[in-house]
Amino acid sequence: MSRATRRRIAWTVAGMLLLFLAVLLSLALGSRQIAPAEVYDALLRHGTGDDAQVVRALRVPRTVVGVMVGLALAVAGVVMQGITRNPIAEPGVLGVSQGAALGVVCAIAFLGVHTPAGYVWFAFAGAGLAAVAAYAVAGSGRGGASPVKLALAGAAMNAFIASVVSAIVTTDARALDEFRFWDVGSIAGRDGEVVARTWPFLLVGLLLVAVVARGLDALALGDDVARGLGHRVALVRAVGALAATVLTGVAVATAGPIAFVGLAVPHIARALVGSDHRWVLALSTLLGPSVILVSDVLGRVVFAPSEVPVAVMTALLGVPFLVALVRRKATVPA
Amino acid sequence: MTQPLERIPPAVRRLRPAGYTVVRFGDGSFLLHRRACAVAALLAAVLAVTAVVSLCVGESYVSPTEVVHVLLGQPSPDELVVGTLRLPRLVTGLLVGAAFGVSGALVQTVARNSLASPDVIGVTHGAGAATVTAMTFGLTSYTVLPYVSVVGGLAAAALVYVFAWRGGLHATRFVLVGIGVSIALGSLTRLFLTKGDYLVAQQAKVWLTGSLNGRGYDQAAPLALVLAVLVPVLVWAAYAQRMVSLDDSTATALGVRLGPVRLGLTSLGVVLASVATGAAGPVDFVALLAPQIAHRLTRTAQIPLLSSALTGATIVIVADLLARRLFAPVELPVGVLTAAVGAPYLMWLIARTRRGREGT
Repeated sequence: MSRATRRRIAWTVAGMLLLFLAVLLSLALGSRQIAPAEVYDALLRHGTGDDAQVVRALRVPRTVVGVMVGLALAVAGVVMQGITRNPIAEPGVLGVSQGAALGVVCAIAFLGVHTPAGYVWFAFAGAGLAAVAAYAVAGSGRGGASPVKLALAGAAMNAFIASVVSAIVTTDARALDEFRFWDVGSIAGRDGEVVARTWPFLLVGLLLVAVVARGLDALALGDDVARGLGHRVALVRAVGALAATVLTGVAVATAGPIAFVGLAVPHIARALVGSDHRWVLALSTLLGPSVILVSDVLGRVVFAPSEVPVAVMTALLGVPFLVALVRRKATVPA
Repeated sequence: MTQPLERIPPAVRRLRPAGYTVVRFGDGSFLLHRRACAVAALLAAVLAVTAVVSLCVGESYVSPTEVVHVLLGQPSPDELVVGTLRLPRLVTGLLVGAAFGVSGALVQTVARNSLASPDVIGVTHGAGAATVTAMTFGLTSYTVLPYVSVVGGLAAAALVYVFAWRGGLHATRFVLVGIGVSIALGSLTRLFLTKGDYLVAQQAKVWLTGSLNGRGYDQAAPLALVLAVLVPVLVWAAYAQRMVSLDDSTATALGVRLGPVRLGLTSLGVVLASVATGAAGPVDFVALLAPQIAHRLTRTAQIPLLSSALTGATIVIVADLLARRLFAPVELPVGVLTAAVGAPYLMWLIARTRRGREGT
């Protein structure tokens, strides 16, 4: 076994431990502190105390939702950065999350859909449209999509969709009331039914990613080399984009728009295990949920007894990361 | 430099660039771009007509003759509707549009980038976050909120500046950091929207989209004051624009201290955008669109400040007119319309940009 492989395995094991710890914290910490022994009791020995009730009814669904959302966002980020060869590609930055949000708003305002489980199809549709539009805008013109063009196209997309959304919620007061709680990006108060409805889509997205993982490695070498190696570049991009859209849709329909997880996690993973996409993906599936759960726990503990939604925590933690990323090079490749 | 005019040989006098007229007064002289003057006059005329139309149209129609009567202070049955309800709103819109237009012209000049605008570098999100935070804590007076939002806008811009500074200010880095900070501030804003009660949320939401609804002299006054104070600074800015448009080595050779000049122009742009945001909320994309349109009309080397102001004001007036009437009786925030037009325009700009040229 080579040194590189040992290193990768070591980091993956560390990632597993981190995720285990994050899950434990998410189950144990909150407005009511619950000892790990009680958590164990509630989960595996059908405890009947108040603590056990809290764990089973509130903390477990919340933690499961957090794991799903973190997984979906992190993997979507890896795939987006891979198919665009762009270090700042991410569902939130590219406007894909906002697109999904628009789908949800339309569902609330025009079609009377009022459950997150019902939102999911509309989230997919919106995410897909926004992703195609943002990439088409950034990629057209000579030279193709550079990081700045993609970021600006995403910012423009975000602003445009935000204006449409606010046109809808200004003229429909009931939609605003429902929408503003979802729009903030939180994994609290999402029940088990959401998970039951969305996990098949998560699975489909992950399977698609598994299929194109090798293709992403080839794409990193440039389109011509990838073609020379026998990869169908357009097909890899199309399947990758479909997978990223489905994953973003799952995350947004479940928890609302959460930015920066899809940006930061792939970079951290690459820094730890190198550029092989299969390892990056494996580690990201562990780090993404950990980041979401730790952010959520911080949001519960820092301002107790009131809670800071997880999306606010990830944005506040994520911006320094983006700044560091942008500053690392004297000039960002334009 | 004050060589008597007669001694300049005719050949040198012909070196005057085409399209300019020399205006002399006493010992001094300056060049006037003929086309720019004509465009400014035309824009002013268009703006005047639009303003009158905006005063005529609303829930009830008032004839242009009556509007002129009211404006001239003559007694009129429409005094209440035109003078008390529509005029303050119009004045606010004019000032907001002009401020955003000039702000965009300055930021785009310094960034040498037609894609840059105060919206992109975090100013409006900073102002928005500060204002919604204040609203959540029970501060809902429209006389105080503008100042809160100015402080927020300046703070956000300073933050972006500090984060993006690394032995110099690279346009690309500036824009990327600006987008990042905007996202963080946007999510803070959303947090406070969920904390407040429903009515505050509704009010904040409308303000956040940029609205002239219910705005009047209370909001226009601070803006007018700032604009009046800044007029001499704007004259300097028009001159300084030329220095920062030179390429770096030429400017340095001529003894121009580019850093301070850039910082000065950017700060001026940020102040203008923040004050305008304080008055009407972030009316998106006016700061991006107005200078571009004005620049294309005048075809001058620098982005024209006066024409940008006039264009910005016209855009806001027209957008507000449409926002009021399009879905009447429901009134949209004016920012919805400017974003609906401005965002596709920004995308078109991006699509045309060649890779590697964004920094220039």
